[in-house]
Amino acid sequence: MMDKLYLVARIADTRVALRSRSIHSVVAVGTPVEVPAAPPHVSGLFALRSRVFTLIDPHVVVGLPAVPVAPGQRVVVVDVAEHGYALLADEIEDVCFIDAPETRITGRLLPGWARVAEALIEHEGQSLLVVDPSHFITLPVQKAA
Amino acid sequence: MGRTGTAMDDLLNDFLAETAEILAEAGGALVAWETDPADRAQLDAIFRLVHTIKGSSGFLSLPRVTALSHAAEDALDQVRRGHRSADAALVTGVLAIIDRLSQLCTTLGQEGVEPPGEDGDVIGALIPVDEAPAKAADMPEIRLRREDDLSTDLQGWRSIRVPLPLLDSVMTGVTDIVLARNEFARMLRDSGANPSLIASFDRLSDSIAGMRQSVSQMRMQRIDKLFAPLPRIVRDLARDLGKKIRFATSGGEVELDREMMENIRDPLIHIVRNAIDHGIEKLDDRVAAGKDVTATILVSARQSGNQIEIEVRDDGRGMSPDALVAKAVASRLLTATDARALTPKEKLELVFRPGFSTAAKVTSISGRGVGMDIVKANVEKIGGIVELRNDEGRGLAVVLRVPMTLTIISGLMVRAAGQYFAIPRGSVREILLETSDSVRIERVGGGELVNVRGQQFPLLRLETILGRARDDRDDIEDRALVLVQPGQGQSYALSVAAIHDHEELVIKPAAPIIMATGLYAGTTLPDNGRPVLLLDVQGIVAAAAIDASETGRQMDRTVEAEAAASAARNAAQLLLFRDTNGRTRGVRLSVIERVEEIPAPALFESAGRVQARIGEDIFPVHAAALPDGQGAVKLLRLHDGHSVLCYPIDTVIDIVRLPEAVLPAAVPGLIAGVVLVAGDPVELIDPFWLMEQYATGAAALSVRPPVCRIAEDHDGWGSSFLAPILRNAGYRVVSETSDEAADILLCLTGDSAACAHGGGDLPVIRLRTSVAAASPEDDTVYRYDRAGLLDALRRRVGGTRA
Repeated sequence: MMDKLYLVARIADTRVALRSRSIHSVVAVGTPVEVPAAPPHVSGLFALRSRVFTLIDPHVVVGLPAVPVAPGQRVVVVDVAEHGYALLADEIEDVCFIDAPETRITGRLLPGWARVAEALIEHEGQSLLVVDPSHFITLPVQKAA
Repeated sequence: MGRTGTAMDDLLNDFLAETAEILAEAGGALVAWETDPADRAQLDAIFRLVHTIKGSSGFLSLPRVTALSHAAEDALDQVRRGHRSADAALVTGVLAIIDRLSQLCTTLGQEGVEPPGEDGDVIGALIPVDEAPAKAADMPEIRLRREDDLSTDLQGWRSIRVPLPLLDSVMTGVTDIVLARNEFARMLRDSGANPSLIASFDRLSDSIAGMRQSVSQMRMQRIDKLFAPLPRIVRDLARDLGKKIRFATSGGEVELDREMMENIRDPLIHIVRNAIDHGIEKLDDRVAAGKDVTATILVSARQSGNQIEIEVRDDGRGMSPDALVAKAVASRLLTATDARALTPKEKLELVFRPGFSTAAKVTSISGRGVGMDIVKANVEKIGGIVELRNDEGRGLAVVLRVPMTLTIISGLMVRAAGQYFAIPRGSVREILLETSDSVRIERVGGGELVNVRGQQFPLLRLETILGRARDDRDDIEDRALVLVQPGQGQSYALSVAAIHDHEELVIKPAAPIIMATGLYAGTTLPDNGRPVLLLDVQGIVAAAAIDASETGRQMDRTVEAEAAASAARNAAQLLLFRDTNGRTRGVRLSVIERVEEIPAPALFESAGRVQARIGEDIFPVHAAALPDGQGAVKLLRLHDGHSVLCYPIDTVIDIVRLPEAVLPAAVPGLIAGVVLVAGDPVELIDPFWLMEQYATGAAALSVRPPVCRIAEDHDGWGSSFLAPILRNAGYRVVSETSDEAADILLCLTGDSAACAHGGGDLPVIRLRTSVAAASPEDDTVYRYDRAGLLDALRRRVGGTRA
């Protein structure tokens, strides 16, 4: 049952579906604190219930320019390897039960999206990319070149 | 059914955890007892430990564990009743039982049931050879509960076992409460609430602060636990290698965060093994070197500030810098040219290079691919440092200096680029304003360096390191230099926009992508609820690609300057506290061993004096009467190198630099004088006077025999002929090369030019070889004039003593 539950959100200007079991929660972000010299997709740190979360800007991960964080903006909180991260979401739509099966991605995606997307799923007459939030955490190694 | 199952599982888990601890402790205690079988207290302690295992295992119906512990208990009881003497065979037998119990417990933990098997072998080994058959025929006796049984139970009640995740969750909970309190405090201030509301909120606030303190204390454990397995390791290894080693520990009451403890357990064991295997010479070599056949390894712990120093000292051969270099060159870690440029200290530190192993051949004991490089890496991972104090031919001391807790450190908050950062207080040497007179900033070849009172430091600007622009709002007058000491013999100046304050910080690791920058050591949440990054002072050195090493910075004066700087740092700090009478007072930080918080009932009055029981020790307390009320009492533990005196205080206020100007008191007494700290008068406690008041009591506890040092003993006459006579007469004898403080110098040559420098202000007695005195003024003593010599000694040493 849980397998079929998805969070539908707009991330990096694109509607995507996130498997609900990969998500910890959705919260509103306070004012983040910058991390100088950190990789470009790290927007900063913020505290939530005495835990410190690293804020990730998905725009940068898929190759778009970074966007400023608005106070109160909603973020998708995920735990990866015992560290807390939050993905900035442009918009959180809904948590819904999608019965359709996940299908293989057909067609060519932009390199940024190709790295984070795992499958396609049909929802209300539209194809959504199913993304794994943990792929947003690290940037591809070619950055260094 | 399921319910009882879980209850049983819980019981079993408790039993296993408890037993593992007991077994470790018992192993250590047994070895200590073996060396001194007359130590009744030690025997009783071991008996109780084994008895506890037997008791709990009977309840859980674990027949093998019960039988084993019963056999050990029985054998020990025989000794307690004087029916049997303690010998190596008995100790080995009991140790074998302890090993078997450990194996059983491991299996129990994995499978949940006691594995079938036969323990007749180890139990049989305990039966004394001569009376083996007779023993079996003994009538089983029914014993009543004895004193020991009762005390075991009592101790069980004093503490409880709490799973670590639960402690962590309490810690997180309390941190949450603190953050919520701060939020609430802000709202309360903004809303202009009435004073009575604010007052009662403050009371809540205080109790939350107290609770946070207690929770962090809950995570602390006595370092005894870390030392417990060591005696056993030393005994077994020494036996395997055919070496004789006396092992001792001290400072077991020092407390350390249990997580830290986990992290230094392996490095510590490794260092001890190294000392036994490589440090301590073979018996013949020790005899040849004129050393006591029995070597000594001493492991001691000491708290200084919020750091813990653990020292493993042996009296073995030490390390030879030249041998290390030869080895490093041979294993191609270093070219011969580079080697020549190394200082003696750098040569020693070659052992920390990966791939370096000092043993001429790989042994099964310490040469297992785990080198000192791993030890160093592990200790540095938790923010600690490893230091070597080598005395070639006479021994080596390896010192681990680690922060007291991983999670809570004292941090200095600084500002740069409009943002706050934390610097671990432990690595801050000094803070200066850039505008200060003693600071001179120079630009050299595009880089910057700063000259502070004649000492040069590379200068790094925090904004530059972080790749940020300076914040326009910063006042140039606020810019400050933090002299940072990232490790031994390293230092640099970090320029920041402003110094904020210092706070106790709860440190959490940052996400790996942030740690990968190499600039940060973690994140923390100060009371305002906004995350702050903790700077990695060592990583900054690497990121800025500077040479922070102090070597050669100052030509010839480096060593003295370093010593002077560290002396100044230690000596010139003042601990401010509120005394029990409400006055603000200060005492030099260097005389304080630690601040102790003990429950009021641990204070008692005896022989007209207030005393405090801390752990296993009793210390005098500077107080006229017992404090009334229950609660906890804070004590400053003053230490003069020999004895300890506790000084009760109300609360610690701050640590500040001791001002230069002291207005001395008119008469000697508790108050040495008055100083001004931030414009307020502070009474300075006179530790000298205090110690003097209690000195007689302390001296009675540890009567130290006068120490004679024998000098100019070229032919060994002193050590072979003279020393035994002196020892018989109740003196302690040390050789010329020993650095132990002596009370008198015995010079084995009548030549008055010799020993003139060595004596210092020590009294000197010269021995001459001729029967007749050279002249009437000759104050030398004929060396076979026993009575004359002892008389001279009594006059110089015995007379001044007593």
